Amino acid sequence: MDALVRVRGLTKIYRLDGQQTTALNDVSLDIAPGEFTAIAGPSGSGKSTLLHLIGGLDHPTAGEVWLEGERIDRLDHNRLAELRLRSFGFVFQAYNLIPVLSAVENAAFVLELRGVPRAERERRARRALTDLGIGDLWRRRPNQLSGGQQQRVAVARALAAEPKVILADEPTANLDGTTGIALIDEMKHLNREHGVTFVVATHDPRLLERVNRIVYLEDGRIVRDEARAP
Amino acid sequence: MLVLAWRNLWRHRTRSLGAAVAVGFVVWMSVLYFGLVGGTRDGLYVNLTDAVGHVQIHVRDYRDMRDFRQALIPAAGALRARIQAALPGSQVAATLEVPALLSGQDRARGAMLAGLDQPPAIRERFGEKYLTEGRLPGAADLDGIVLGGGLARTLQVGLGDTVYAYAPGTDGTGASAYTVVGILHFPEPAQDARGAILSLAAAQELAAPGALTRFELHVPEFRRTTDDAGLVPLRDRLQEALGQQVVVETWRETYPALSDLEQALRPIVLMFVGIFFVLTGLLVVNTIYLSVIERTREFGVVIALGARRGRVMRMVLTESLVLCGTGAAVGLALGLPIVARMARGFAYPFDWGEIAEAYGLPRVMYASIAPVEVVIIVAFAIGIGVLAALWPARVAGRLAPVEAMRFVA
Repeated sequence: MDALVRVRGLTKIYRLDGQQTTALNDVSLDIAPGEFTAIAGPSGSGKSTLLHLIGGLDHPTAGEVWLEGERIDRLDHNRLAELRLRSFGFVFQAYNLIPVLSAVENAAFVLELRGVPRAERERRARRALTDLGIGDLWRRRPNQLSGGQQQRVAVARALAAEPKVILADEPTANLDGTTGIALIDEMKHLNREHGVTFVVATHDPRLLERVNRIVYLEDGRIVRDEARAP
Repeated sequence: MLVLAWRNLWRHRTRSLGAAVAVGFVVWMSVLYFGLVGGTRDGLYVNLTDAVGHVQIHVRDYRDMRDFRQALIPAAGALRARIQAALPGSQVAATLEVPALLSGQDRARGAMLAGLDQPPAIRERFGEKYLTEGRLPGAADLDGIVLGGGLARTLQVGLGDTVYAYAPGTDGTGASAYTVVGILHFPEPAQDARGAILSLAAAQELAAPGALTRFELHVPEFRRTTDDAGLVPLRDRLQEALGQQVVVETWRETYPALSDLEQALRPIVLMFVGIFFVLTGLLVVNTIYLSVIERTREFGVVIALGARRGRVMRMVLTESLVLCGTGAAVGLALGLPIVARMARGFAYPFDWGEIAEAYGLPRVMYASIAPVEVVIIVAFAIGIGVLAALWPARVAGRLAPVEAMRFVA
């Protein structure tokens, strides 16, 4: 099967105060459509950096990133923004919802950026919230939701836009055990039933148990890439 | 985007309200300022055109004439009939100005005698404004004269005294004795020291039978500066009807210095209003910039989710415009009714009316604001909204998403 995401020789070096830090070092991997892939490794191993480079949030120092056969690592700011808007969904560790918007407005935010008409985007956002079990909380603002509910809204925001890939950075890190497992199960359900491709940076063992594939990173290098049968 | 901007402004309601109130106050103040200055301009306009007419008719090239006799309109009666035929219903005043030597019992002084034939309403306002003692001479009065206060003091004469006039005339030097029937006070010192008023008939008898220096045409319906646009077509129509022996001029052409004075008011107001808006704009910049800095992380997320730089900049711009637009709407809503009320007429408090009168303004003013001035005020508010947002919007638009999402305020 053709890779949805292809990464070749990806290297990212940060320079700060004359010091160089290699966050990623010659990383190559392919991600197939419909995969649920975890990027695992200790803190500072380069998980988040890899997600950012795949998602076009940052430019690599060297190497290539391809999405559906199109090289994306050299695109300018505006074309990268367009690519993120059309092709990627993002879920962040700290939820990063917009505090003045309700749950449904947050979930519909990416659709609004795409210019989808109000009625259509609200319908899709409410369906995504319902799929994640928080359909009845659609009016609430983030400060009226628990951490788990906020993270569900963040997933709904990514899901409602029906992206090609959802990139999630430590999505369960701020959630308690039960809430974290419930969220993982919902993501897994979306992957299995709707074929949504997930790439998740995590070191949460509960999540690692439920993915198709784990790519282990250490010091910016892939040290192990194992397929699993969850 | 509007809803998001509105809610974002309410996050720091004290700060946003402070900036919106400042914009609203400046808009409110500008509306009143324009209204009062508009009233002042109209008052000045009425006074000026009462004094000199809206349109004047002279002999052609009258400015180049050295001798006053060359500048006279002969057979003025026939010309008056043609003027009234061309513009029926208009009020025509006729003036004959004669340079003369005026003498009392012991003293003499060079003076400018003005023989006036004014429409009753203009004559009444003239008397109310300038007459301090006595009365104005009647139209058929050949003996009465009214002197400027300074001239009367110089000649050491008062009401009932006799003065003698010696003047060059079309039929040789004329001389006549007059009785002082009134004393005027002209605000302009030179006019107060040299001016004297007779009936037109008396002046013609003294110096130029049947002749005039000028006709003044008063158009009663032109009471505001905004009416002035109608003068040029009126002038052209009259010029065509009267032929090329005479020249028809609007009052602005005859007295460009007075016109400049009246027209200088609006630029001055615009300058002050501009300064007020710039100062307010600094407050708006501060509000919007702080709002952007505090939300760096949020803008990082918005950019990460796929917003282009232009979109992020528009978000900031919208907030600034909503802030300034709200302030402007409130300022207009509070200011325009006050101007509308004052447009029905208001008197100055205390004794400021006397001061205004000394500067050629009426005691009762009618506030006036033109639609274009409301548009200017709104444009200032919108302009401030745009300018104040430019820098913060640029800051927000150029954020790198990964760094921005790590930002801790």
